[in-house]
Amino acid sequence: MMLMPPFNLHHPKTVEEACELAATFLANKESFDWVAGGTDLLPNYKWHINVKTHVISLANIPGLDTISMHEIGAMARLGALTTAENVHPLIASAASKIASSLIRNNATLGGNICLDTRCFWFNQSEDWRRSIDWCHKEDCGTGSDCRVIPNQNTLCVATYQGDLAPSLMALEGTIHIIGPNGPRSLPVDEFFQLDGITRNVLQEGEFVLKVTFPENVANRTGSYKKLRVRESWDFPEAGVASSWIPGDPSSLRVASTALESIPRSHQEEVDALGTAFSKEHIPQLSEAIMKSIKPVNNTALPPRYRKSMVRVLAKRSLREILGD
Amino acid sequence: MVGKEHVTMIPSAPKTIWSATVNGQDVQAIAPSNAILLDVLRDEVGMLGVKRGCDLGTCGCCAVLIDGEPRLSCLCLAGQVEGQEITTVEGLADGAHLAPIQTCFATHGGSQCGFCTPGFLMSAEALLNENENPTRDEIACAIEGNLCRCTGYQQIVDSIEAAAEIKRGDAPAPSPASDPHPNPHPEGPDEPSMPPGHAR
Amino acid sequence: MAGGYRQQPGASSGEVRKDGKRVAGKQKFPPPGSGGSRPTMAPRDLDSIPESVGGKEPQPAGSHIHDRYRTGTEVGKPRALVDSHAKVTGQAWYGDDVRLPNEIIGKILRSPHHYAKIKSIDTSKVEALPGVLAVATGADAPNTFGVLPVTKDEHAMAVEKVRHVGDLVACVAAVDEATAMEALNLFEIEWEVLDPVFDPRKGLEDQDEPIHWRGKYHVGTTNVQKRVFQEFGDRSLVDDPTASSHGKWRMEGVHHGFTEPHAVVAHWDPNGRLQLYTPQQVPHYAHRALSTVLEVPMHQINVIRTFVGGGFGGKSDPFPHEMCAAILSRKAGRPVRINFSREEVYWINRGRHPSYIEVKMTADEEARISGFDIDALIDGGGFASFGHVTSYYNGVLATAPYELGSFHYTGARVWTNKPASGAMRGHGAVNTRCAVEVGLDEMAEQMQVDPIDLRLANLLPPHSRTISGFRITSNGMREALERVRDGSDWDAKFRQMPLGKGIGIGCGFFISGSGLPIHWDPNRFPHATVHIQIDMDGGVTVHTGAADIGQGSTTAVAQVVSEVLALPIEMIHVRSHESDTSPVDLGSYSSRVTFMNANAAIRAALDIREKLLNAAWEMLGYHPDVLVLNDRRIYYKHDPAVGVSYLQALHKAQEDKGSLISSGAYRSPPMGGVHKGAAAGLAPAYSFSAYVAEVDVDVETGLVSCTNVWAAHDCGKALNPLAVEGQIIGSCHMGLGQVLSEKMVYGRTGHLQNPNLLEYKIPSVHEMPHVTPIIVESSDPEGPFGAKEAGEGPLLPILPAVVNAVYDAIGVRIRELPLTPDVVWKAISAKTKSLGGIDETELPSPRLEHSSLQATLVARGLEHKERDRRRQRSEDTSAYVNGVLFGFDPDRPLEDQVDGWKSAVEPVPEQLAELGLAGKAWLKKEQRQMGGDQ
Repeated sequence: MMLMPPFNLHHPKTVEEACELAATFLANKESFDWVAGGTDLLPNYKWHINVKTHVISLANIPGLDTISMHEIGAMARLGALTTAENVHPLIASAASKIASSLIRNNATLGGNICLDTRCFWFNQSEDWRRSIDWCHKEDCGTGSDCRVIPNQNTLCVATYQGDLAPSLMALEGTIHIIGPNGPRSLPVDEFFQLDGITRNVLQEGEFVLKVTFPENVANRTGSYKKLRVRESWDFPEAGVASSWIPGDPSSLRVASTALESIPRSHQEEVDALGTAFSKEHIPQLSEAIMKSIKPVNNTALPPRYRKSMVRVLAKRSLREILGD
Repeated sequence: MVGKEHVTMIPSAPKTIWSATVNGQDVQAIAPSNAILLDVLRDEVGMLGVKRGCDLGTCGCCAVLIDGEPRLSCLCLAGQVEGQEITTVEGLADGAHLAPIQTCFATHGGSQCGFCTPGFLMSAEALLNENENPTRDEIACAIEGNLCRCTGYQQIVDSIEAAAEIKRGDAPAPSPASDPHPNPHPEGPDEPSMPPGHAR
Repeated sequence: MAGGYRQQPGASSGEVRKDGKRVAGKQKFPPPGSGGSRPTMAPRDLDSIPESVGGKEPQPAGSHIHDRYRTGTEVGKPRALVDSHAKVTGQAWYGDDVRLPNEIIGKILRSPHHYAKIKSIDTSKVEALPGVLAVATGADAPNTFGVLPVTKDEHAMAVEKVRHVGDLVACVAAVDEATAMEALNLFEIEWEVLDPVFDPRKGLEDQDEPIHWRGKYHVGTTNVQKRVFQEFGDRSLVDDPTASSHGKWRMEGVHHGFTEPHAVVAHWDPNGRLQLYTPQQVPHYAHRALSTVLEVPMHQINVIRTFVGGGFGGKSDPFPHEMCAAILSRKAGRPVRINFSREEVYWINRGRHPSYIEVKMTADEEARISGFDIDALIDGGGFASFGHVTSYYNGVLATAPYELGSFHYTGARVWTNKPASGAMRGHGAVNTRCAVEVGLDEMAEQMQVDPIDLRLANLLPPHSRTISGFRITSNGMREALERVRDGSDWDAKFRQMPLGKGIGIGCGFFISGSGLPIHWDPNRFPHATVHIQIDMDGGVTVHTGAADIGQGSTTAVAQVVSEVLALPIEMIHVRSHESDTSPVDLGSYSSRVTFMNANAAIRAALDIREKLLNAAWEMLGYHPDVLVLNDRRIYYKHDPAVGVSYLQALHKAQEDKGSLISSGAYRSPPMGGVHKGAAAGLAPAYSFSAYVAEVDVDVETGLVSCTNVWAAHDCGKALNPLAVEGQIIGSCHMGLGQVLSEKMVYGRTGHLQNPNLLEYKIPSVHEMPHVTPIIVESSDPEGPFGAKEAGEGPLLPILPAVVNAVYDAIGVRIRELPLTPDVVWKAISAKTKSLGGIDETELPSPRLEHSSLQATLVARGLEHKERDRRRQRSEDTSAYVNGVLFGFDPDRPLEDQVDGWKSAVEPVPEQLAELGLAGKAWLKKEQRQMGGDQ
C-alpha cells in the first residue's frame, strides 16, 4: 500500500477564494500545490515526491470545465474532450491518445498542460530514490547530482511528456492564468520554460484557468502523432502535432513533445521553408525538426531512437494535414 | 546521505467526516482529510471488493463508478468526490440477482484469478449503461485502462458482448443461484434413452 | 420411490407390525434435498460419453482407462469456475482482504544498497516511537529456508549481508500504516558496502566476496550457483551439415505481473498456534519453511491460502515477508498484516531469468536434425529460489518434440546483486524454446523447405523416449501443427506476403507435473492426496490442498468428482484453503495440479462410487457391473425404471458407518534415466503445442503488432474447454508481453528502473491479437480422463512464432528480446545500411522456392503420420526411442550400437576449450577438489 503522506486539503468554491488561499499560504511561507484531476500529482505524492503542506483542490469550483471550439476550461476532463462534439478534432484526437480511458476520466486539461516532467531516476518511491542517493530534481535540499547526465547539477533534464501541449501550440492557443496578482494570458508557446524543475512560467500562487483559440481555429486541420509502446497507459516517447489552414502555408504550425524538458514549437524550422508548403517539403522539414531536438536517456525508449522517430512522426503528421 | 529527504508520515492529516452515497446507501466515514478514495472505501466503508493492484492508476483494479462514470479510486482524493454517488462491485447485483455483466464474466471465462474482475466489471457496466450494443472495438476502448494478466482479455470481451445481449433482452437473464430448488430429489426415470417396453 | 422417504423417528405411517402394534416412529416426509436445480433426473448425455463405452463422444486418439467411469456429467463441458460468483461479486477474499480483530500493520525495511555487510543495527529509536508494537531483525530468525531443499539460502531478514537493493533488512509492526512507515526511518544501520555484480557474465569470474558461499561445493570463488553439463547421442553426426543455425540470444528478465500484490496476515491464536493467511501457490512449502524458521512443529501452524490474485510461479516460493509477519505477530501478540506496494513485488521478483542463450543446430542431408548444442547462462539474482531446476530446464526441455541425432547442453546459473529470479510460467523452457524454434526456421530457409514440413518430418512419435530418456506418452504435436497450418491458411501466406506483413510458426513442449516432488520425504509420499466426505445430506465435501490460483483447479477437482459420481457440480463442495483440513498437496507449480490432483480425486471418488454401487446392489439385487450411474440415480442397465436414488443408496451405504469417507492419492510411476540430473524434466506426461502468429511490422518505426494467432495445444483431454481456452489465450498474452514489450530494466547503476506497471509494459487489450484457440486431445493414458496440462505449455510457442513472423515480414532475424520498437528499428537500419542505404520501404521480403528436399520431407511426414496414428491408438506397441530415425534399433541400448553414442554429465578435459559462455563455469573447480571445505 502506498499511503498518502499528510497534507491539508482545501476545497475553495470560487476562483477568488482559491487565489486568497494561495495568497495566505504565500504570506505565511507555507508550501502548497494545486490539484485538479490528481492523476499526475497523486502518484508523485504517493512516491513522496515534493510533498507540500497544503493542497488546494480546484474540483469544487464551478465553471472551469467549459468545452467549446474556442475555449477549453482547465478543469475539462480529458475523457470529456474525446467525446465532446464542439471541440477541435485535433484536441479530441490527441486527448484520446492520452493514458487510458479510466485515467482520462479523472485527468484534466490543466493538469495535462502543467504535467510535471518525468525521469526514471525521479518517478520512483522514496526508498528507491534513497538507494540512488537522490537526484537533482528531488526538491529536498540534498544537493544531489543529476543522474541522467552526471557531473552537472545546474539543469534538470527530466522530460516533459504531456500529450496536449504540441496540439495546443499548433492551434495557436492562448493560455489564461490567474493568481493572487490577477489574471494574465500568453501564447501556449511561451508558457513553458526550459528546465525540468521550473517547467513553466507559472509564478507561485498562479494556476491555469483556460486555453482559448483564435477565431479561425475551426478552419485549421491538424494531426498529432504519438510514439508509444502500448496503445494504452503509456506516456508519449515522442509526439509531433502539426496544423494549418489548408492552402495557407503561412499558417503552418508544428510542435513536438516528450523529447526535452519542455514541448517545443518548431516555428523556426517551418519558417526556414519559406512561403511554400507541399508534399515535397515534408522530408526537408521533418529532417530539420529531428535535428533540432536533443532527447536524453530518461524514458522507456533510448534517446537515439526517439530522435530518429521524430522525423517519421513529423512526416506522418504533415502528410496527414496535407490529406496525403 | 544528505538533506531532509524523508517525508514525515505522522501525524496524519486531521480526520474529518466524509460522506457520500455508496451503492445507494448514505455513508459517513471518519478518515484523514487528504485520504485517497480507495483507502476510504476499503478501510473505512468496508468495500473490500475494490482492489488495490498498483496504487498508481495503471491496473484498473480499483475502478468504481462515480456518478455513473468509471474512475480510478486510487487516483482520486476522497474529498474531491464528497457527496457523490459511488458504485462499487458490491453494488452491481440486485439482491441475489446478479447483474448480467457479473453472470457473463462467470459463464464466459471473463474471470480467472478474479483480482482484476471488479475493475473490469465497473468499466464494462459503465459502457453498457451508455451503449447496449457495443462493437468489440468499443469494448476494447472501454476496458483499455484495466489490466488483466490471466485471460488475455479475449474472454472478457466475449463476456461483455454476452452481457450486452442480456441487457438488450436478446438473451434471457439467469435466475439467482440461491433460488429454491423445487423438489430437487429425482423421483424416477425421465429418460429418453430408456429402451421401450421396459416399465417395471 | 414414489412413496416418499422414511426416516426415524416420527408419527406412524399407519403400518402395523405382525404383533398388531403400530410401527413406531416411522413417518413419511419430504426427502432431504439432494441438491441440484433439476427436479428430475437428467437424461444421460451420450454426446459426452466415449464411444468405447457405448456413447457418442468420438475418440480418434483411442480409448482411455477412465472411460468406464464417465457419466457424461461434467467432463469435456465448458463450465464457469465454481468460485466465479465469489469473484464477480467482490466476495472473493485475497491476501489484503483478510481483516482480523485487533490487527496491526507490518512494514519491511529494505536495503538501499546492492551489496553490503550489516555491521550493526540499532533499533532503539524505532522501539521508542509511540505506536510501534514490535520490531524484528535478521537476528530474530537465523534459520535458512528456500523452496528447494538443496539450496536453502534465504533468511527472513538479512542476517549478515544484504544482496540486492530491496532485500529485507528488518521489519516493524505498528498500530497503523503511517506509524509503521515512519518507524522505518528510525533504524540506525552501519553498513560496509561491498562491490556488487550485475552482469551474469561477471558472475562466472572469481570474486573476493561471493554473494553466497556453498562450502565444499562452491565453484571456485565465483558466483556460480549451479552448472549443468549434459551430452547425449552421436556428436559426429553434426559434422558436414546440410544446414546449420547458430544464434546468440539475449533475453531480458520478465516478471509474472500478477495483479494482486503479495499480502500476508499472521496471527498466533490464543492456543499458541500460528494462523497464517497468504495468497500462496504452494502453501505446503511455505508451511515447511515457516516451521523451520519459527522453530515450531508444522502441526502448530495452519496455513490458510486466501484467494490468489494470479500466481504464474511468482507466489510459489516460501517468502521472507511471510516469516516477518509471523515473527512480528509473535512478538506483538496481535495479528499482523503486511501488504506490498507494487514496487515491493518487483523486489521479491522470482520472475523469468535474464538469459544469454546460444544455440547451434545442424541438419543432415535428409533434413534430419543431427544436433542441438545449447548453452544457457542465466542470471539468478540474489537467491537460489527454483534456480537449480531452471538450470536444467533451459536445456533438457528442448529434447522434444523433435528426434535428435545428438544433444549437448551446458548451463550455468549465477548469483548477481539483483532481485532473485525464479519460476515463471513455462519455467526454464521458454527462452531456449524460442531460440531453438527460430533456429529451425533458419535451417528450413537454408534448405529451402517449409518450416512446418521440416517439423512434421522430425517429430518423436507417441509412446517413445527422448534422447535424454524422458518417457513420452500421448503426443498431439502432429495434429497441432496440421491444425494451425490449416486454420491460418499458412500455405497461401508463408513467404508470400508484402513487406511488413509476416507469418511464423513455433512449437512448444512442456512437462505436465514434475515426476519427482521437490521434497522427497517421506520417500514414497504421494504427490497429491484428495479426501471426499459425504454425510446424510448428500453434499460431497472434497478436501484438497491444491491451490487454485485462478487457473480453475478447484473447478477441475469438482468436475471429476461430479463426473465419477454423476452428481450435479453444485453438490460438490471443494475445501482447499486450510492446511488444517486439506491433505498435503505439493502446490500449483510445474503444471501438475490437473494431472495429479484430478487423478487423486478420481481415485477418491471411485472408492465412494464403489460403496454406493454396493449399496445399490444390496437394494436392487443387481451386480454393480450392470448398474448405471446417472444424475443422482443408480439403475439397472437394461431397465432404467429399476433403480434407487443416489440418496437412497447413500443412506444404505451409511448404515452403521455414518459419513462416507474416502481418500485417493496419486504418485507418478518410476521412470527416466539414471544419469545425474535425469530427474529434471521428468514428467508423467508432456504437453505439446504449435502456434502460428501473424504480425504487422511498421518498417519506419519498428513497431510490431501481432494481429492473429492460431494456437493449438494438446492438453490430452479438455476437462473444461472454456478454462483450457482461457489458459491458451492468457498464455498468448503473457508470452506476447515477453516477446514484444516486457523487461525488467536494470540501468547503468544496476538499479531496477521500472518497478511499476506503467514502465513494466504488460500488453493492454489493444495489443492483444485475435487468438483462435485450438484444443488437441491426444488422450493421455495416465491423465485424469486423458487430461494433461494446459497452464504453462501454451506460453512457449508464441515467442518463436512472433520472432519468425517478424522475419517473414522484414527479412531480418533479431535475437534480442523483447522486440521493442527501438530494437527492431536498429535491426532494420543495419539491414538497409548493409544493402547500400536503401529506404526501409524497399527492404526485400523473404521468399521461398522449394528445393528437392521439400518432397522428401513431405513424404516422410506422411509416413510418420501413419506411424504416429497407429502408436497413439496402441495398434503399434513396439518400443521407440530417439535415434530410430537415424537407423538405430529401439530394442537394443543405443550405446551398444554406435561407437559415438554416449551420454555424459561432465565435460572431458579436451572439451573444456570449446565450451560456450555458460560452459565456462566448468573451467572452475569445486572447493572440495581444490582441497578447500570452508
